[in-house]
Parts: sequence; structure tokens; C-alpha cells
Amino acid sequence: MTTANEKQSLSEMVSELGLDKSNNATIGRLIAHGGLGHAEEGPDGRMRAQIRIPLDEMIWDPSILVMPRGGEIEIELINDDTNTHCALMPSNGDKQWMWLPVYSKGTVTLDLDGPGYYWFSSNLGNDEGQGLFGAIVVLGDVPEEARLDRPPQTRP
Amino acid sequence: MTQEYTDAPSAVRFGRQSKVVGSAPPVAQDVTYERILEARSEEPQNWLTYYGAYDGQRYSPLDEINTENINRLAPAWVFQFGSFGLHAGASTYAFEAAPIVVDGVMFLSGWDGWVWAIDARTGQELWRYKHEVPFDVGLCCGNVNRGVAVAKGKVFVVTLNAHVIALDAVTGECVWDATYGDVRAGESGTVAPLVVKNLVIVGSSGGEFGNRGHLDAFDLDTGERAWRCYTVPKPGEPGSETWPADGEAWQRGGGNCWVTGTYDPEQNLLYWGTGNPGPDFDGEVREGDNLYTDSVIAVDPDNGEIRWHYQFTPHDLWDYDSNMESILFEQDGRKLLAHFDKNGYFFVLDRTNGELVRVTPFAERITWGEIDANGKVTPKVYPDKEGETVHFFPGPAGAKEWCHAAYSPKTQLFYAPVQDTGAQVTRRRREFKEGTPYWGASVTVDSDNMQGFVKAIDASTSEEVWRWHNDTPMCASVLATGGDLVFVGAPSGEFRAFNAHTGEVLWEFQCGSGHHSSPVTYSIDGTQYVAVPVGWGSWVEGFLPGLMGAPHGNAIFSFALPGSAHRVSDAESSGQLY
Repeated sequence: MTTANEKQSLSEMVSELGLDKSNNATIGRLIAHGGLGHAEEGPDGRMRAQIRIPLDEMIWDPSILVMPRGGEIEIELINDDTNTHCALMPSNGDKQWMWLPVYSKGTVTLDLDGPGYYWFSSNLGNDEGQGLFGAIVVLGDVPEEARLDRPPQTRP
Repeated sequence: MTQEYTDAPSAVRFGRQSKVVGSAPPVAQDVTYERILEARSEEPQNWLTYYGAYDGQRYSPLDEINTENINRLAPAWVFQFGSFGLHAGASTYAFEAAPIVVDGVMFLSGWDGWVWAIDARTGQELWRYKHEVPFDVGLCCGNVNRGVAVAKGKVFVVTLNAHVIALDAVTGECVWDATYGDVRAGESGTVAPLVVKNLVIVGSSGGEFGNRGHLDAFDLDTGERAWRCYTVPKPGEPGSETWPADGEAWQRGGGNCWVTGTYDPEQNLLYWGTGNPGPDFDGEVREGDNLYTDSVIAVDPDNGEIRWHYQFTPHDLWDYDSNMESILFEQDGRKLLAHFDKNGYFFVLDRTNGELVRVTPFAERITWGEIDANGKVTPKVYPDKEGETVHFFPGPAGAKEWCHAAYSPKTQLFYAPVQDTGAQVTRRRREFKEGTPYWGASVTVDSDNMQGFVKAIDASTSEEVWRWHNDTPMCASVLATGGDLVFVGAPSGEFRAFNAHTGEVLWEFQCGSGHHSSPVTYSIDGTQYVAVPVGWGSWVEGFLPGLMGAPHGNAIFSFALPGSAHRVSDAESSGQLY
């Protein structure tokens, strides 16, 4: 059995098999296989990003959005697909939800803790299973005062 | 050609796409420490704090529902919620909370960071709060939360990523948010907070990840941390002599405080149980008694200092946490504390000084070792040699899990949910890596040859008075009432009422999912309700793997006597819900 790290990266193997395409290797597209993007921090300290749904791909692009730290982020969502979708987004307080009609765009503001990652999706039919699941990855550490009083430990 | 876009409809709060009202009456505004002190005697219609009162008895004097009419008890309403999208522990979430009820409003936490205010008469959702839980947070025992605390107009709850937050009790909006644990170290938060004086006190979860347990106290108003009390001492501190002098074991020593403590205002002491040492089953890397793991610690709430301790399982090799409740009661003028431990023994201590008064077995089968009448512990069967498998009773879930016993001052009996399940454990040493489970063993819990009980124990002698047998372990908290009733749910979904004096089953209702929560009772305008969250899940592989595939569930049922509870016509005619 060939495994990632031996000859090819996992991404290459997934692509070669067609798991990163809609209705190719499997019915849908393997979730979180629509690229990776970084949120940008503006001069005002606010994080911003843009995520699209490309035509016929049933994917968020990027489907892995990286925030450098926890906090508020503004995300512009754009639907370039010719089908209607939705966005169900994680946010402290309550999840945020919006329609994404064909050729529409809108902005959603989220508040997320770091570190850790969270899933977002289009909660229509089985958009999620077909590929419209994405991850928001929040980097960083918890505040110093919350950490354990012990020497640094070995990590995996 | 450049694509032209229309404006998508504005993003909305997901909860607004529902029938949620959006606000609750300001019932929590005047809930103070003084009111909680007198919770049972002055306002039995409410369930103001986790155990109903600071003493942990889980007893209510309400008696409208009693042995004479219990056969007519019926559901008044059901609130259910489900889950959305992908979330942490999607296969292990459970509904473990004890609801808080204040003047007709129920405040309740669920899995995955959900908190609700519910009309306790009708089940109408009044507001909801969602704290986002990282999908990758380390969870030893499932996506769970054991409840909220309420005081001074706020609802306090911890989150699985180890925040303690205060919500406005009218709107559900976050007022303050403080981080009290490190998710990168495998810490999480599942405990129901306890309000004492002007503090909200919480403990850490994550004892299977080799961290260092702690209690934290925060100012109710500001969220500023007042103190932290570690349950594993650093070198040189009292108790450090019970850890290897030259090692790093104390740094991963465990002793987490994941179940709510009790409180005696006269002694001004918190009685808080601590969890297993880390690694759970490999004792060779942590020679010594490993204080203050598997103990009850008596903590001064004013400064977080440990005044005394009693260790139930020194140098634990079986995962016998002692987080379970310390029930405060009095006998012959003596101030006592009762504790059913995972190790199968029932302890009665003098709560003024931690002195052992009595210790007796309450478990059905105990093979791990023996505790004599003086409290001397003799281990017999335990994982010792690498790769050598041993089997012992009770298994790591214990003869009683975290789910709580009750004590009725009316019958002077304790009522304990009892588990009788063994497990097979093989020591497997592993290197400690931060954020990775650190058990030191391979573990499989028995899926057959198991049983459970509800046992009634005499408070003056610790002898069994009656027992009720179940074909599976009993894994839910008990509620005792002034109606001479004892309520407890079963893993197979039945919610039952027993005669508190005899153990006779007087009533049952199939809730459709297993019970692993804490039922409560309350009354509104003279009508008594009994409410129980239902949602099987959590650490099922630990306490009942034979029901891993049982229905998951996610509902809270509230029962009342027909004719006395809310009627649809009442709400319709008044045009409002109160």
C-alpha cells in the first residue's frame, strides 16, 4: 500500500484519484479540498477574508481559511455558482446564517476563539456531503494566565 | 465579462430563524448568594443551584407529586434540539446537565456550547446562546456539559475549550468571557459552575491528557480571576512528598475537578472531589500516594487554600476518580460528609476536619483491592507488568460514576445509582506528549456480565435498606422528594419513580433515549414539575459499552400531574407565555 509521505503528498494522491473534483472518484468532493487562504489583518486590526463558491465545483474556495488568532473576522462570501446555496457559519453568541442566491455576495462577521478549527457549510439538501464544508482554522495560544504552571512539555 | 452580483440577503443569527422568543423575564436579577444559602428552605419552588442546595443532597421538599398520585404523572412538555453541521465529538455528545429553575424560567446547557433559557411551564425556548467549540478540542469523555449557575442577573457556564462565560440572563448575550484552561494541554471544561459569595468557581477537565488539575474562582461581576488552586502540588509544596522527588510526574499528575463541589457556609469550606492521577493505569512512573488525586479537598473559598483532604484511593491504578459529590448531612449533632466513590466504597467523614467516620462497601463486586474499617487500602489486582492483562471490578467507570446520589432528610436514606461492570486492562507505557491521551494502558470494558442497582443506604449505619436491580448499570443521577419518591432514569430510556421507603417502582415513562443527567423538580403557581434531560452518549465505552449503539437523543422532558400543568388554552387566551 502506498501511503502519503512515501512517494507523493496526500494532496497529490487525492487529486490523482479525483477526490478533489465533484462527481469524479466519488459522488461529491472530499470536504476541505478547495484550497487554503489566509485572513488578512487590516491597519484597524480587523481580520478580513473572501470565500467563493465556484461554478459547478460544489466547494468553498478557499475551503480552509486560516486566522492568525482568535477574534472577529469579516468574510465576504460570493456565489459564482448557478445554483442557490447558503452559508451556516460558526460564531460565538449564535451561528450566522445567510442565503447565497445565484451570483450574489454578502458579508458575515464572526467571532471565534483560538486555537482550534471550526466547520462551516451550506446547509441545503446535501450541499455539505457534496463538498460544501469548509474549515476556519484559528492559530495562536490561550492567554498566558490560563496556562498550566509547569515547565514546557514535549508535544507530538 | 465581469460578473455582476446582487446583494445577498443580510446574514442573520441562526437562532432567529426559529420560534425562539429572544428574551426571558428578569427572574435572575435578584438571585444572590444569600438566596442560594436558603434555597431549599425558603424557595423550594426553585432549583437555584446545581444540587438544588449547597449541601448536595439533591432533595426537594415538594410533595404535590407523591406516592398516592404518581401513577398519574405525565409529560407536560418536551424540549428537543438536535445538532447542526459537523461538531466536536459528533458520536459522543450527550445531554448531561442539571437544569436550574428560577421563578418559572429554566436555564440549561447542552452539548457543544449550547445554552438555553426555557419557559419552565411550557417548554418554549426563550433565548439561546452558542459558544463555538473547536472541532479538534481534546475530549476525554464526549461533548458534554453538566449545567449552569445563575446569580445577579447572569448565567454562568463553562465551554469545552475551557472558557468560563457570563451571559445576561434576560437576553443570553455574553457579558464576560475568561479563558481558564489550555486546550493545547488537553484541558477542557464540562463542570457546572458553583456560585459562592461573589465568586463563580469552576474546575478543569482533561485528566486523561496528563495535565495538572485546578479550581479557579472568578469575580461574578467582572470575570477577573480571584484565585487558582492546583490539585497537584509543585515540588516543595505540601503534598509534594507523595510524588517522585526527582521526576516530572507532578507536571502531568491529573487530579482534575470536573464535577461541582458542595459548600458548608458554617465551616466556610468547599468540598470538591478530584480526579484520577495521570497516567491513569501506569503507577510505576509516579510512585507515591499522588496527592491530591482521588480525594476530597476542603477549600477555603476566600483564597483557594486547601484546609484538609481525604484521599479515597491512594496511588490509583484503576482510574477511580473521586469527583463525585460530597453530600453534607448531620447526625447526632455531628457535621458529616458522605461520598460514594468509584472504588466501590461509601465513605462518611467528619466535614470539619476530614476524619474518617465509617467506610463500607456499596458495590456489588469489588476485586481491585480492599479498604478496611480504618480506611487502610490494600490493592490486590492492578496493571503492573508491561503487557500483562488483568481484569477487575469495578471497571474504570467505577461502582458509581459522576452521576449523583441523593439524600432524603425525611427518610434519612441515601439513594445511589450503582454500576457493576468489570474491565480488562493491560499496562502499556507511553511517552508523555502534551495534548495526547495519557492512559498508560490498553483498556476494554466488559459488554456483558454486568448489572446495576438503585441502592438505599441508611445514613446512621451505612447499611443497605433496599435495592432495585436493573439488567444494565445505572448511570444517571437520583432525585429525592418530599413526596416520598425517588426518581432516576435508566440507560434503556425509562424514567422511574420509586417509593423512597421500600424501593417499589411506582411509575415509569419511556423517554426514548438513555439517561445520563441529573433530574430536578420545581413548581410554578403550586404545580410541581419533574424535569429530566435525556440524551445517551458521552463516555459510553467506559460505563456501558454494551449500549454504545443505543439511541442518542437530545431532549428534556418535564412531567406534571394531569390537570395541574400548563394547558394550550391558557397561553392562547392570555396571548402570552407567562
